[in-house]
Amino acid sequence: MGMVKDFFSGIYNLVVGLFVTGKHLGRHAITLQYPKERWEMPERSRGVVVLLSDPETGELNCTACLLCMKACPTGAIIIDREKNPETKRWFPTKFVIDNTICAFCGLCEESCNFDAIKLTGKYEFSVFDQSELIYDMDRLAELGRDVKYTPRKKPAAKKAAEQKKPPAEGKKPDEKKEDTAEKKPEEKPDKIETNPAEKKEEKAEASDKKTEDQESRKPEEAKQGDLGLDKEEDKKESGN
Amino acid sequence: MDEKELHIGEHQEQDEQNPVARELHTEEFLVNMGPQHPSTHGVCRLLLTMDGEVIVKVEPYIGYLHRAIEKICENRIYNQITPFMDRFEYVSSMLADWVYALCVERIGQIEVSPRAEYLRVIFGELQRIASHLIYWGVFAMDLGAVTPFLYGLREREMIMDLFEETCGQRLTYNYIRIGGVSQDINPGFEQKCKKFTSYMCQVLEDYETLLNENPIFLSRTKNIGVAPPELSVAYGVSGPSLRASGVNWDIRKDDPYGYYEKFEFEIPQGKNYDTWDRYQARVIEMRESCKIIEQALDGLPEGDPTFKMRASFKLPEGEYYARIESSRGEMGCYIVSKGEKKPYRLKLRGSSFNNLMIIPEISKGLKIADLVAIFASYDIIMPEVDR
Repeated sequence: MGMVKDFFSGIYNLVVGLFVTGKHLGRHAITLQYPKERWEMPERSRGVVVLLSDPETGELNCTACLLCMKACPTGAIIIDREKNPETKRWFPTKFVIDNTICAFCGLCEESCNFDAIKLTGKYEFSVFDQSELIYDMDRLAELGRDVKYTPRKKPAAKKAAEQKKPPAEGKKPDEKKEDTAEKKPEEKPDKIETNPAEKKEEKAEASDKKTEDQESRKPEEAKQGDLGLDKEEDKKESGN
Repeated sequence: MDEKELHIGEHQEQDEQNPVARELHTEEFLVNMGPQHPSTHGVCRLLLTMDGEVIVKVEPYIGYLHRAIEKICENRIYNQITPFMDRFEYVSSMLADWVYALCVERIGQIEVSPRAEYLRVIFGELQRIASHLIYWGVFAMDLGAVTPFLYGLREREMIMDLFEETCGQRLTYNYIRIGGVSQDINPGFEQKCKKFTSYMCQVLEDYETLLNENPIFLSRTKNIGVAPPELSVAYGVSGPSLRASGVNWDIRKDDPYGYYEKFEFEIPQGKNYDTWDRYQARVIEMRESCKIIEQALDGLPEGDPTFKMRASFKLPEGEYYARIESSRGEMGCYIVSKGEKKPYRLKLRGSSFNNLMIIPEISKGLKIADLVAIFASYDIIMPEVDR
């Protein structure tokens, strides 16, 4: 009898299970036929990194302040820069993003103060040769041409700098930007003071910070710093 | 355990008495399960010593997924470590972000805004449901049922969408940062989230009708792989697997972090300490997580949850440990600071390692098919074991 009972209870449970499956028969499919149909990527989606340019002039927004290069955890960004002797403004001569080691974490976008670098919703960038994944400046700028972005609100430091400077002195707008770029990293630490324990060390650290920031202005030195070493390590790891 | 060993002994004695069997002498043999076996959930190699169909000994060989994440983190400044935490435990990366942020916040005595704490609870519990949904699907799949896997991943997809619209990624979120979260939620997120939790509660009932009375499922799980409380504690098992062994231990209750003290939820406990209890503990936990999310959404305070940490900062000297209740158990982060910008030593505790080590003990005398069920029931993922 036990076996017969088990048999019928088994059949009964099969029917109950099939009933649940049957309930889902009428549902719409949640899958899409991929190459024909595509999901709309959300606005915050973090995909391929691009360089944004000014829609009016077509010039890159990048001021080569090297903040993104310092923020990158994998060392995927390499920047060379030069100073324009006329406008006295830094500009990038080489801007390379190595997509083979990029982690798409978005820290470069967050560190940027000039809407220059952005992670977009683009996700189809498979290639046959790995070396094609290393994007140079032209490629990055081209990818960023059609990317729409809302210009960020001017940072507080920048506004303050503008207000301080009378319009007569502000004839050179490029120079002004350069100033804020350098001021920014120095001013931030003073604003964020949540740690009472750190306050004591603040004075001692302040001198350190200044030297660091000075270092960051020299691209050659920054490259030989910690980030450069880290990058070599990463390459070894990915090779393995 | 002893009975099973005796049984094997008797079997050999009978063989010796039988003249035919004495000529055709039986002996133990080795079977390699993995490292590319689908039911080892990653790349784990189990070396089985078999006596016929009965398992005599299980030896786990680990290290196939070792990526030296701890060493990589020791070469980074504190802000750059969060993306690597996502890779440390990629099935519940949100919780891995949280444990690292919690550790640094405790060292630096950084205050987190209430809204950020609530958002952390919401996203942490959503992540717990997502992780348990994978568990639920894969566990049933390992026992031969295909439907649950598809259903589980379908529901997980909704959570992924919620994550993607908030932080931009589906797997490596980088959302919970030191001092807060990276971005505030979009308008309309709360409604979507509430819709999901109410839907999830309905679907869980469906899940129960699918599996809970299925005679095949019951016979595969009931009284298989019994792990008594003493044994589980001795091996350092944690999380739902420990609670299924009848030990009332949940870090959310016993060593509260974040705002978990404010929420009401229950902790399921097992009675038979077997595979079925470990499965059931997770299903009940999903329901409790839904409750927590609803409470957190109701009490979500206004304010700015983001916190801009300066690019590089130093932590005071010392050794610190922070732990949270991950979807698999106790996840810990241990930082030794020498007062520099980078951690001198960063150690991560993954609960899967301890949960894996108890499997050889409780699977003696069972069949290979039971070992698959036990392995799946402990919810072991290899990135957490090897790091």
